[in-house]
Amino acid sequence: MPSRISYLPFALTAMTALLAGCGGGEQRQVIQNKGSDTLVNVAQAWAENYQQVDPSVVVAVSGGGSGTGIAALINGTVDIANASRAIKDKELKLAQDNGQEPVQHVVGFDALAIFLHADNPLDEISISQLADIYGDGGTSLSWTDLGVEVPGCKDQEIVVVSRQNNSGTYAYFRDAVLGSRDFKLGTRDMHGSKDVVDLVEKTPCAIGYSGLAYAVDHVKLPCVSTEAGGACVAPSVETAIDNSYPIARPLFMYTNGEPTGYVGDYMNWIKSSEGQCIILEKGYAPATTVNCG
Amino acid sequence: MFETTSINKKNITQQKLVRIGLGTMTGILILPVALILGTLIYKGAPMISFEFLFTGPTKGMTAGGIFPALLGTVLLVLVALLASVPLGVAAAIYLSEYAPDNWFTRSINLAIINLAGVPSIVHALFGVGAFVIFFGFGTSILAASLTLAIMTLPVVIVATRESLQAVPMSFREACWNMGATRWQTIRRVVLPNAVTGILTGVILEVSRTAGETAPIMFTGAAFFLPLLPQGVLDQTMALSLHLFVVSTQVPNMPEQLPFGVALVLISMVLLMNSLSIALRMYLRGKKKW
Repeated sequence: MPSRISYLPFALTAMTALLAGCGGGEQRQVIQNKGSDTLVNVAQAWAENYQQVDPSVVVAVSGGGSGTGIAALINGTVDIANASRAIKDKELKLAQDNGQEPVQHVVGFDALAIFLHADNPLDEISISQLADIYGDGGTSLSWTDLGVEVPGCKDQEIVVVSRQNNSGTYAYFRDAVLGSRDFKLGTRDMHGSKDVVDLVEKTPCAIGYSGLAYAVDHVKLPCVSTEAGGACVAPSVETAIDNSYPIARPLFMYTNGEPTGYVGDYMNWIKSSEGQCIILEKGYAPATTVNCG
Repeated sequence: MFETTSINKKNITQQKLVRIGLGTMTGILILPVALILGTLIYKGAPMISFEFLFTGPTKGMTAGGIFPALLGTVLLVLVALLASVPLGVAAAIYLSEYAPDNWFTRSINLAIINLAGVPSIVHALFGVGAFVIFFGFGTSILAASLTLAIMTLPVVIVATRESLQAVPMSFREACWNMGATRWQTIRRVVLPNAVTGILTGVILEVSRTAGETAPIMFTGAAFFLPLLPQGVLDQTMALSLHLFVVSTQVPNMPEQLPFGVALVLISMVLLMNSLSIALRMYLRGKKKW
C-alpha cells in the first residue's frame, strides 16, 4: 500500500522554509516598551513616528497597566516601562534586589479628567465630593445627594466607574482624591481608560475618571475644585501645564539605569520638541515648553 | 386490521411535536453563527482592500492596514503547529498502540483531560514563567507559540488517539500475521488510515490557536510593532490582540475598523478550516473501507 502520509515531510519543509524566509535582512535594534494604559496610545504614536527618525530601531509597545510595566522592568523583560504614577518604594527595592536600577523620566503631564454622561447637569465637582462618591464610607450614593437630577437615570443612583487595581490611574486617583482611604465596594472596575469613557458615554447614571486624552465629544468633563465653593478649574492641557488643575499628574517612563545607546537616543527624542509635540497632539501636556506651530 | 387508536394518535402528535421542537432548537444553533457572520460581512466588508490587508497601521492605528498582525497570527499558528503536531501525534501513537492499560497510562490520560480543562489565562501565566523568564526566550513568537502549543496539545492527542483507535483491530492483526513489526504496522497501515482524524485535530487546533488572545498577550504579542518580525525570537503583532486593542484601547477609532479586523480573523480561520476539510474529504474518498 502506498504511504498516504508522505506529504507530511513536504509540508514541514515548506513551513520551515517560510519561517526561515522571515529571517535575514539588515541588523536592527528592538526596544521593549510596556506599561501604562494612559500612556499606551502616546507610546504607540512615538513608536510609529520614530520609524522615520531611525529606521534601524523598532519599538515594540504593549499595554497592561503601570503595574504591569513596572513589574516587567523589575523582571528585566523591558527596556522602558511606562507609568502614570511614580514607582513605589517597595517596587524600587524589589528592582534593586533584582539588580535593576530604575531611572525616572517625566515625559508629560495629564489632567486626570472626571467623566460624566452628556445629559448630566453637574458642571463642577470638588475633591471632597469625589471622595464621598468613590471612597469607602462615602455618603454620596445618588445624584440628588449632589443636588442634581440626571435625566434618564433611574432612581438617581450613581454608577461609580473605576479601574482595575494594577492601573496607575487607579493608584494616582486613590492617593490624590481618597488620601489614605480605600475605594468603596461595588465600583465598576474597568480594564482600560477607554472602557471607562465608553461606559460613561452610554450610562446616564455613571461617573468615571481617565486620562484627558481619552475625552470624546459625547461626554462631559466637569471642572474640578479643591474644596466646595473654591475656584473650579476645567481639565485641559493648559491647566495641567500651569498646575492649576487640582488632579494633574506627571506621566513617567522608567529605564534600567541612565539610558545609553539606542534606548538613550529614543528617550532623548521623546523629550525633544518633536517627541513632546506628539504627546501634545495626543491630548496630554508636554513636560517642557514647546512650540509645535 | 390495524386501527388507529387514541393512543396511536397521541403518539403521532407527540412525535411531531418533539420533531418540531428539536428542529427549532437546532435552528437556533445556527442563528448566532449567521448573525455574527452577517454583521461582520455587512459592517466589515467595506474595510477590506488590498491596502488594508498588506500594509501596516498608521495614524495611531486608526488608519492603514493590518499586515503585521495578519502575518504575526500566521507565524504564531505555524510555529505552534510545528511544536504540537509532532509531539501530540507521537504521544497519541504511544498511548494508543504501545502503552499497556495500567495505572500509569490511565494517569497520563487523566492528565491530558485536565490539561484540556486549564483556562487559557493560566496557560498564559505558565508561558510567562516557563518560556519568557525561565528558558529566557523573552516575549517572542517562540514563547507565545510554545504556550499555544501546550494549550492545544490535548486536542491533537485526543483527536489522534481516537482516530488511531477507529482503525479496526483486524487490520493490525492481519499485518502482524504477515510478519510485520509493530512500527511497520503503524507506519504502513494504521497511520495512513487514521490521517483524516488526525487532520480534524489539527483543524481544531488551528482555529483555536488563531483566535486565542490571553496566552499570547503576555508571551509574545505586542500592542503595536511597526516592523515585521525577522525571526522566532522577535515579538509580533497578532490579529486577535489587535482586534482587542482597536475595539477597546484606542480613542477615536473609526467604527468599521474593528469589524474589518474581526472579518479578516474569522475568514482566515474559516479558510484554513475549509482547506483542511477539503483535504479530509479527498483522503476519505480514497479510503477502501
